[in-house]
Amino acid sequence: MATIGSYTLLAAFVVCAYAMAVSVAGARRRSLQLVESGIGAFYSVTALMTLASAIIVYAFVTEDYSIRYVDRYSDSVQPLFYKLTSYWGGLDGSIMFWVFLLSVFGSIAVKTNRERQRELIPYVVAVVGAVQLFFLFVMIVHKDPFATYLTEAPVDGRGLNPLLQNPYMAIHPPSLYIGFVGMTIPFAFGMAALITGYLDDSWLRAVRRWTMFAWLFLSLGLTLGMIWAYEELGWGGFWGWDPVENAGALPWFTATAFLHSVMVQERRSMLRIWNVTLVILTFFLTIFGTFMTRSGVVQSVHAFGEDPQLTVLFSIFMVLILTFSFGWLIYRLPLLRARNDLESWASREAAFLLNNWILLFSAFFILFATMFPTISEAVTGQRITVGPPFFNTWMVPIGLVLLMLTGIGPLLAWRKSTLSNLVYQFAWPVGLAIVTASGLLAIGFRVWVSGLCFALCAFVVGTISQEFIRGAVVRRGATGTDMLTGLIGLVMRSRRRYGGYIVHVGIVLMFLGFAGSGYKLETQVMMSPGDEVELGQFTVQYERVSETDDGQKQMITGHMTILKDGQSAGELFPARWFFRKHETEPTTEVAIRRSISEDLYITLATYDLSNQTAAFQITVNPLVNWIWFGFAIMALGTGIALLPESRLAFIAAKVPEGAATTSVLLVSLFLTGLGTTVHAQIAVPNGAELTTEQKQLEAELQEELVCVCGSCSHLQLSTCTCSTADDMRLRLNQQVSLGRDRDGVYQHFIDTYGSQEPIGAPIGAFNQLSWLFPMLVGGACLAGVGFVALRWSRRGSEFQESEASLPAAGNDVQLEARLDDELRNLD
Amino acid sequence: MPSQGLKILLTTAVLVTAFVGLMWTTMQDGTQYYKHVDEVMVDPDQWVGKRLQVHGYASNISWKPSTLDYRFDIQKDGYVVHAEYTGIVPDTFQDESEVVVSGRLEGQKLVVEPGGIMAKCPSKYEPKPVIDAASAGDAEGSNDSGGANN
Repeated sequence: MATIGSYTLLAAFVVCAYAMAVSVAGARRRSLQLVESGIGAFYSVTALMTLASAIIVYAFVTEDYSIRYVDRYSDSVQPLFYKLTSYWGGLDGSIMFWVFLLSVFGSIAVKTNRERQRELIPYVVAVVGAVQLFFLFVMIVHKDPFATYLTEAPVDGRGLNPLLQNPYMAIHPPSLYIGFVGMTIPFAFGMAALITGYLDDSWLRAVRRWTMFAWLFLSLGLTLGMIWAYEELGWGGFWGWDPVENAGALPWFTATAFLHSVMVQERRSMLRIWNVTLVILTFFLTIFGTFMTRSGVVQSVHAFGEDPQLTVLFSIFMVLILTFSFGWLIYRLPLLRARNDLESWASREAAFLLNNWILLFSAFFILFATMFPTISEAVTGQRITVGPPFFNTWMVPIGLVLLMLTGIGPLLAWRKSTLSNLVYQFAWPVGLAIVTASGLLAIGFRVWVSGLCFALCAFVVGTISQEFIRGAVVRRGATGTDMLTGLIGLVMRSRRRYGGYIVHVGIVLMFLGFAGSGYKLETQVMMSPGDEVELGQFTVQYERVSETDDGQKQMITGHMTILKDGQSAGELFPARWFFRKHETEPTTEVAIRRSISEDLYITLATYDLSNQTAAFQITVNPLVNWIWFGFAIMALGTGIALLPESRLAFIAAKVPEGAATTSVLLVSLFLTGLGTTVHAQIAVPNGAELTTEQKQLEAELQEELVCVCGSCSHLQLSTCTCSTADDMRLRLNQQVSLGRDRDGVYQHFIDTYGSQEPIGAPIGAFNQLSWLFPMLVGGACLAGVGFVALRWSRRGSEFQESEASLPAAGNDVQLEARLDDELRNLD
Repeated sequence: MPSQGLKILLTTAVLVTAFVGLMWTTMQDGTQYYKHVDEVMVDPDQWVGKRLQVHGYASNISWKPSTLDYRFDIQKDGYVVHAEYTGIVPDTFQDESEVVVSGRLEGQKLVVEPGGIMAKCPSKYEPKPVIDAASAGDAEGSNDSGGANN
């Protein structure tokens, strides 16, 4: 099987080289046959990479430990889910996964653009092929995921690090990879435009959605990484400016800059050199970030290992990228001159330019600070490091300026804003910011940075609300519908603009969360049973520490009672788990009491079972959950902006009067109805006969108790299907049949299984929601992408026919023109 | 009226000067020398009072019962520095673990900053090589760069 895998990679390399060569030859000779042959070969690479991926997944599932990679990153006791995710768990597999994703994305991009971008497509194939070729080369000569042991294969694998056996960690890398790999497509189109000289705005239209899509997944990956660090590592924070985190953030900044500056080029034909530069830089930073985290060039607490051969390969590739892309850019400079000049600094294009400078500066600052130890060592011979305070000193003010521009930019008019226009646009938002700042001062807020951030958040929310309200009023006037229907119609008609505003709302919510960290409270204490600690509104009482074992791991659990403002606020059970085979790498099971306003976050550090003393880190993290909610809103906005323009505009225009309001009311009623708990119940084989009341109690407890297998992210017993959950359900059934009440069963489970943090917590629903949110967002993103892909694939004559057949098409054109006029007047 | 080139040059000069000045100012407080134990302890007087990140291997970790007070040694290539720390240590902080410790040298002793112990954490990219009797030969083979396929 391994041999087939290795030959598949070899075949992919050869076919990819052919696709590249033939495409360039076809484009130069203007031979359609050669170009078609290149595209066919390009699709074949996708098929081969799919086959190679299937082989490695099959090897993981069938536990083929003769393959070194399978041995290193899985073992026989690992749940199937983590066996599948082990595919990208190590360096060799992650490179293969990279090529697989790139081949799929490349094929979709070529398929959807081959008719509209005929001139560019051969070079898009060549550029994407070149990137694939590099990674295939790395795999073939250096990091072959199908490499096998020379002699006897191990009986069992070494297993994935327990810290990484976490649902967030399973989906965090692929979403980051999707973001990183997705940035190759805009680069390929940009380079194709440079090579062919077709530098009008058509290449931008082809890549705008790709960039948005990749940006969304990059944001998702970064957010999941933050959640994982917060919930799994137990240090009380979510971002530590580690080189690994920074590597993911670098292309995010340049991609965000591009998403803004592309509008300036579309609208005003300015920043054309800038946009190509941003596309090149974003792609370069994805490669550089990969290089930085895998070559050992940067010291990190993460032991990536030093790999000189990989360093050399990546260095050569990066030099080639820079030489090739900037070489073409310089050669094409005459074709890239701006067709308009900046008329005024009080214009939207100026605000976007400023936003771009700051974003680009952020990227370069982070790059500089991350590389500073290496740079200082090279220059002075002394390795000098900079820590998180240095990053924060710079990035906090930069973030605040960006937040302010988020509010200012969209309110400025293109070309030039007059004084009356500025007053009309900014009076209310600035007023709101002043009122917020005054209110905060009046109630005695002590952290000025956070206070300023709150005031700026109010300003941005004011600007966005104003845009929505004014737009909806115009829409209502134009269509005669009610306000809500007008609002929905407005968003549907101009999805990119209003989707962007929703993204900004998400950014504001995230900033609220960041500002909350200014009020973080933290203490480290050694406690004996009966001791209590006060932190903010909370009193934490320590009861005892217990030791339990479920066969897979030993669990040390602290038992804490929580009071908030003197009232009981439940119990928390921070724990440390020692998995078999990984006894020297205990995992910290953080206990979190979540709420909208703050998290109480407790980790168990050291303990002494003999005298029952234990050390805890207790943290109160205000507003931290707003960061995750902010991301969800951001993803929703990006999803709306990604939706195809024309199809849904027609739908929105056809909405009958009041239909949206009625629909929203019905949905609200439905959602309210969902609040009524319906207990799912899994029947327990060999379970005891129960009375009706006992069955009811069993069903409720199956909803409340969570599985402790350590790999299913604490699923409820009513939903988890693993063998541990089977045992726990049987135990629950027995306990209920013995006549134990709810508290008795709880106590029994805590004594037996240790950490049961979400048990019976009054904030359980919120807890579950916060876990589910990123998953739901990820699912929604995939569904959105599927929809967009479907939509693109149907673009063309069929769509034109269907539009032409609509009786109300003429009305739509009139309506569209009228609304555009009215919206323009608003600017 | 100065030319556009001069304007750009002046603006760039002002921005670069401001940037370098700010960077220099903020760096004064935020930087630490990153040194291996042997580099520091070969001439400790040179480093007394300076903010350091000391890289080495932890040993002789002792913990005063019912407190968060730790004493341990960091050693490398025969050089040792004694360290004192109060607070919670990372999960992976154990004897022989590779650590990077932030603090100031006071005499011959490293006084560690709060939260100043970083133990290298195992990463998914490069798992710890496990060499047991059964697979010692293979494991050695697996650490090379190319390797052959069956």
